[in-house]
Amino acid sequence: MFESLFHALPVALQPDSLLSLVVGTLAGILIGALPGLNPVMAIALMLPLTYGFDPIIALGLVAGIYNGSMYGGAIPAILLKIPGTPAAIATTFDGYPMTRNGQGGLALKTACWSSAVGGVVSALALMTLAPLLAKVTLAFGPAEYFWVAVFGLTSIAVLVGKDLSKGILSALLGVIVGLVGIDTLSGEERYTFGSLYLVGGFDLIIVLIGLYAIPPILEMAEKRNESYFNADSFRVSAVAGGLGLLRNYWRTWSRSSLIGVCVGILPGAGGNLAALLSYNEAKRRAPDPDSFGKGNPVGIAAAESGNSADNASAMIPSLTLGIPGNLVAALVLGALMIHGLQPGPQLFTKSPDVVFGFMWQMLLTAMLLFVLGGMVATRLFAQVLRLPTALLVPTTLVLMAIGVYTVNGNVVDLYVMLAFGLVGYLLDRLEFPLAPVVLGVLLGPMAEQNFRLAMLISQNDASVLFTRPISQGIIALLLIVLLSQLWKYHRRNARSSAAPPSGSA
Amino acid sequence: MKYRDTLSGLVFFAIGVTTAWIGSGFYADTAYIPVGVGVLMSVFAVPLMVRGVVGNTMSTSMPLIHHPLRFFVTLACCVLFYFLLPIIGFYTTSTLFVIVMALLLGERRPAVVICVAVVFIALLYGLFAVVLKRPLPVEFFLAS
Repeated sequence: MFESLFHALPVALQPDSLLSLVVGTLAGILIGALPGLNPVMAIALMLPLTYGFDPIIALGLVAGIYNGSMYGGAIPAILLKIPGTPAAIATTFDGYPMTRNGQGGLALKTACWSSAVGGVVSALALMTLAPLLAKVTLAFGPAEYFWVAVFGLTSIAVLVGKDLSKGILSALLGVIVGLVGIDTLSGEERYTFGSLYLVGGFDLIIVLIGLYAIPPILEMAEKRNESYFNADSFRVSAVAGGLGLLRNYWRTWSRSSLIGVCVGILPGAGGNLAALLSYNEAKRRAPDPDSFGKGNPVGIAAAESGNSADNASAMIPSLTLGIPGNLVAALVLGALMIHGLQPGPQLFTKSPDVVFGFMWQMLLTAMLLFVLGGMVATRLFAQVLRLPTALLVPTTLVLMAIGVYTVNGNVVDLYVMLAFGLVGYLLDRLEFPLAPVVLGVLLGPMAEQNFRLAMLISQNDASVLFTRPISQGIIALLLIVLLSQLWKYHRRNARSSAAPPSGSA
Repeated sequence: MKYRDTLSGLVFFAIGVTTAWIGSGFYADTAYIPVGVGVLMSVFAVPLMVRGVVGNTMSTSMPLIHHPLRFFVTLACCVLFYFLLPIIGFYTTSTLFVIVMALLLGERRPAVVICVAVVFIALLYGLFAVVLKRPLPVEFFLAS
């Protein structure tokens, strides 16, 4: 295997291939940075244009767009609290507060380096562990997926925010929003109230932009005369990079990259789940967990390395077994078939240069992020904040409108986005965390679908959820997170009730 | 009494009960999760309501809206923007929206406002119309 791997390196380093990597990565960063555009859409639009190209050039463009967009999504998440891609949700938690605190440059640089590190680790996993890891995915059934979704949902609900019950209520609200529309298993309409618009359910990106991006924009408009962003935010060059970042974040990067790789190989579990689980783990292990959500760069490092580590590993089941783990992986399979290659185990023997060349391209595009992301894109996009607030508000609103409109080409989506924005604004003011709402929309349907599939397969025997070893492992992890948080709440409440009330002296 | 917690607890309780009640009418296993989630929401809303009732009245929290006039002007402009988009066209409405909103939010340099609006819309046009060819509401003067 390793002989074929090294034989493919010169193929990936051909000038045409290198050019496709640079073009793809730059395009990916731009696509990720624009809310409403995503790598799936970009790759789907690009594939028909590559019919006449060599497969390695087409795959180079795919690799560049995929890795570039993961970092690109972090740019508006950090600067404007608009997640450019769903995988950038967790990046907003600490990225935007850092921008408000005058550390926008550091936040962008941390995101860029973390994305690159996550991408490199993921590509190395793809190159070395692909056949072994592919077998692991086969051990996951509906019961395991159900627990993965419950674990993601519960851990974020109890870890984000100061109030346990508010976090759980937020998550449940998200699950209810995710229930709206036609049930995919039975075809029954749920909570549509006779509305044709609601039959398809709420689009995640519309809910996401509404809940996350509208509240800070409204706040910005309200405070137009006050200083909203700190001028130091813009200084990217003054921020230490390289070895300094490596020294600070290597533990977080290692842990998050491992989580991202593991999540990536599970079909259906995307970069957003990887980022949120990595963020939770970083917060849980931090000596100062209360600083998370207020502008802790470790939160960005965890989220970005986690979501980027999902990229190449998501290709493992598709390249080795022919089972696409996500939509991009499905498009890669499509690209291979367009060029007359049959995905599956025989791909490694029949076209080793293409498949191993693609692995090298995933690695090279992740490494390109250090250069293209850090030197070009970060400096360019950080200038956005130089606009006066009175101009930043309407231009951001137009950007959101175009992003949401292009999803379905429906003006009603804009009103829905605004409605979710008002709900988000209200929840924020009432001190309900917003992240669990989004996660509820995302993971609620995944949990329900797998729960019902498990019950269907076991003929309504609920013990199927608890008897398999992987399920038991996830349940144990879930209990550890829940009990440790309950213990923390208990201790905090005991401490605050023991302390004398302020001003009583 | 913390009115905000009590009221938000009540709203969540009502949403939970309604979700479970409507969900109970769904067919067989389609109802499991809706009913379960609705019941859980009602259960978790109760401690919030209770805490709101017995909570400290002296606790300070930020106002719901900092500046109501600017808040509602921004909202009204957004609604008008979305309403006019399919009638006037994307690029014309967006240009007008950026200019009007910037002036309403206190930007007093018309040349800067117009320059930023025109350059921004030109960039959007170049990317979305020329490069990506994404269909957006057609300008009224181009509609046949």
